[in-house]
Amino acid sequence: MIKNYLKVALKVLARRKFFTFISLFGISITLLVLMVMAAIFDHSLAPHSPETRSDETLGIYQLTMRGKENTQNSDPGYYFLDRYARSLAKLPGVERFSIVSTPQTAVSYLGGKKIESQMRRADGELWKIMEFEFLEGGPFTPEDESGARFVAVISETSRERFFGGQPALGRTIEADGQRFRVVGVVRDVPTLRFSSAADIWVPISTSKSKLYREQWMGGFNGLILASDEDHFPAIKAELDARLREAERNLPDPKTFQTLTAGADTLFEAHVRKVSPGNTEVIYPGRAKAVLFLLMLLFMLLPTLNLVNINLSRILDRASEIGVRKAFGASSRTLVGQFVVENLVLTLIGSLAGLVLAGLVLSALNASGFLPYARLALNYRVFLYGLAMAVFFGILSGVYPAWRMSKLHPVQALRGRSV
Amino acid sequence: MMRHLLKLVWNRKRTNALIILEIFFSFLVVFIVATLGIFFWDNYRQPLGYSWQNVWKISMDMKSEGGRHDDEAAKAARLKVVERMLGEVEALEPIESAAVAMVSPYDQGGWTSGENINGREIEMEANAATDRFAEVMGMELVSGRWFREEDSNLAYDPIVVDQDLAREMFGDEDAVGKQFGEPPPGEKPRRIVGVVSEFRKSGELSARTNFMFQRLRMDVPFWFEPRSILIKVRPGTPAAFEEELAKLLQGMAPEWSFQIKPLAQERTSVFNEMLAPLVAGGVVAFFLLLMVALGLFGVLWQNLLQRTRELGLRRATGASRSSVHWQVLSEQAILTTFGVLLGTILVIQIPVLDLIGFIRPEVFAGGLLFAMVAIYLLSTLCAFYPSSMASRVQPAEALRYE
Repeated sequence: MIKNYLKVALKVLARRKFFTFISLFGISITLLVLMVMAAIFDHSLAPHSPETRSDETLGIYQLTMRGKENTQNSDPGYYFLDRYARSLAKLPGVERFSIVSTPQTAVSYLGGKKIESQMRRADGELWKIMEFEFLEGGPFTPEDESGARFVAVISETSRERFFGGQPALGRTIEADGQRFRVVGVVRDVPTLRFSSAADIWVPISTSKSKLYREQWMGGFNGLILASDEDHFPAIKAELDARLREAERNLPDPKTFQTLTAGADTLFEAHVRKVSPGNTEVIYPGRAKAVLFLLMLLFMLLPTLNLVNINLSRILDRASEIGVRKAFGASSRTLVGQFVVENLVLTLIGSLAGLVLAGLVLSALNASGFLPYARLALNYRVFLYGLAMAVFFGILSGVYPAWRMSKLHPVQALRGRSV
Repeated sequence: MMRHLLKLVWNRKRTNALIILEIFFSFLVVFIVATLGIFFWDNYRQPLGYSWQNVWKISMDMKSEGGRHDDEAAKAARLKVVERMLGEVEALEPIESAAVAMVSPYDQGGWTSGENINGREIEMEANAATDRFAEVMGMELVSGRWFREEDSNLAYDPIVVDQDLAREMFGDEDAVGKQFGEPPPGEKPRRIVGVVSEFRKSGELSARTNFMFQRLRMDVPFWFEPRSILIKVRPGTPAAFEEELAKLLQGMAPEWSFQIKPLAQERTSVFNEMLAPLVAGGVVAFFLLLMVALGLFGVLWQNLLQRTRELGLRRATGASRSSVHWQVLSEQAILTTFGVLLGTILVIQIPVLDLIGFIRPEVFAGGLLFAMVAIYLLSTLCAFYPSSMASRVQPAEALRYE
């Protein structure tokens, strides 16, 4: 039966090529935009090298100190993470804990040429939470961190900038007025990955000033790697308990009394960033609903367009509908058939959209608009695209199908307008 | 005639309602993109109030924030270092002048403040800057003067405002010499000493705002630590001078980090950041409209094909070709008018209810007008070919048509 529907569908599409082209154009443009968006989301949130285990990782990216009149909100400081969050590593199911700084711009001058790099200071544990792809050498170790050795891991692009792409192992770079020996070269990390992107990584203990050891606020993130996400609730609860303890020891109890922070997944961290004002409580569920609504809103115009085109083509099918009805086909059967036809149309259109999306993504990669981005279509984006295409096909197919099925057989056979 | 046309439209209400809805949403899409575009263009035409050419920004990271034992003495010591740097830097040959400001042009963050003037709460952007700031930024004083060294001994705190703020506070009167709001408890009264033409901190693409400057002193710690030094370099200063400057500063404060950048570079990134959404939105909107245009064209053609007999009958009873042509175009114009009317009623609420305060009503009007013209043009264009085809129908043929 479905086979029959498909046959008819393809015949109908081939009959009026211009109208089929108009429909396909709209569908493919719609799905193109949606799939490019999906690819960007996937690139920022899904597990990708080096964050191959981002689904099992939580991060402490923000800390809020609140008093009656003042609020201070920034990334956490080293003192807070070291003193109060480090013990999270002792929880069952937690594999690693790492402290890594937010990227800071480090300037180098090389023979009259200026190089600006994003530099992160990290402990030795970072390399065990994230799986960087090493092109040369390897990571620095916890001993490098405790011994404050001036060693650095640099990115492929940094190697290009500093050494013209020549092997860099053992050579020295100067950055932010300090000199480091290169121990490893890794593949570039897209800047969309806010928790891992950088050009240069060096041990925290090489910081110019030791003031960071006393700072509650500013400059660092804490990363917690669990064996699986079932342990997340326990980690979040323990962090809350540690925050209550920290509140009793706040540096300036007159001004600030409460502390809030969250151990966030990547999605939660993004939601926290865009939550206006009150960042202490976030609603990831609502954020997902908003994203879905935005998608619907974007689909509205294309849907109306396709519905109008489909409606205007009803008469094309009048005689067929009349015959089917006269031989006893129910309205429901006809609705089913027309929705399937529309689905076939949207799937063909989205296939074209998929190809176009691939082209747009590689153009985006080449443009350098999103630095180091390696946007690509993968099976997740493909599945999202498929789901959106089916949703779009049903959304735009049901009403015209219903109208078609309501055609009176006598009128339909005469070919009168509805 | 009009009545007849309306009746024709009403007879096909179900089909037409959906077309009207499609026109309505297309109108909204054009309106949003056009308003945003006009907003930027309108801002770009307004005076900026300073010149970014040949100004470099030295950003300093003192690694001092949020410390556990950060006290006033440490703060004062850091300020002393900045003051020394300012002196050393100004003595360098390629540098014309140097200044410190809390907020630099094209900075991401800002400082907003509210002041109660004659019982009216006035919102403004604020900044604190040193005596040479107006010189570094090439600001234009409309009346009065900028801050100067002798201001330290005044019985009041000097304030400089921009023309927008002066107008909002005192209308057409000269603001110089006037008291600036109620003095904060336990502090000196504040008085306006100068009016600058304009100061748009976020650059050419941002809206005009009220702006006020406080005098920044290097010998008295402020509640906020300075993070950048602005320098005016002589035209043609080579980029290599940057390295020399960086070495000098690093030598004076080994624990700090420095980053030197021409303001031109900051300006470019601000432009890119603000225009990127407009460009992306514009491209998507263009393709949406292309889709709508093709769709409308197809739908109208199909619909007219179905009305061949009706139109043929009109021709048979003596209507001329052009009159049939006009009839179809007018019907389409009626549909468009309904869609545009709905859209206008909706978007006119934004300026009427003052939902987005920083966009001027004139900009909305421009966006509205643009969207109207674009949509009428689009819909007429889509109707033109099908309707001329329909009017060419031979009456005899049309009446036979089944």
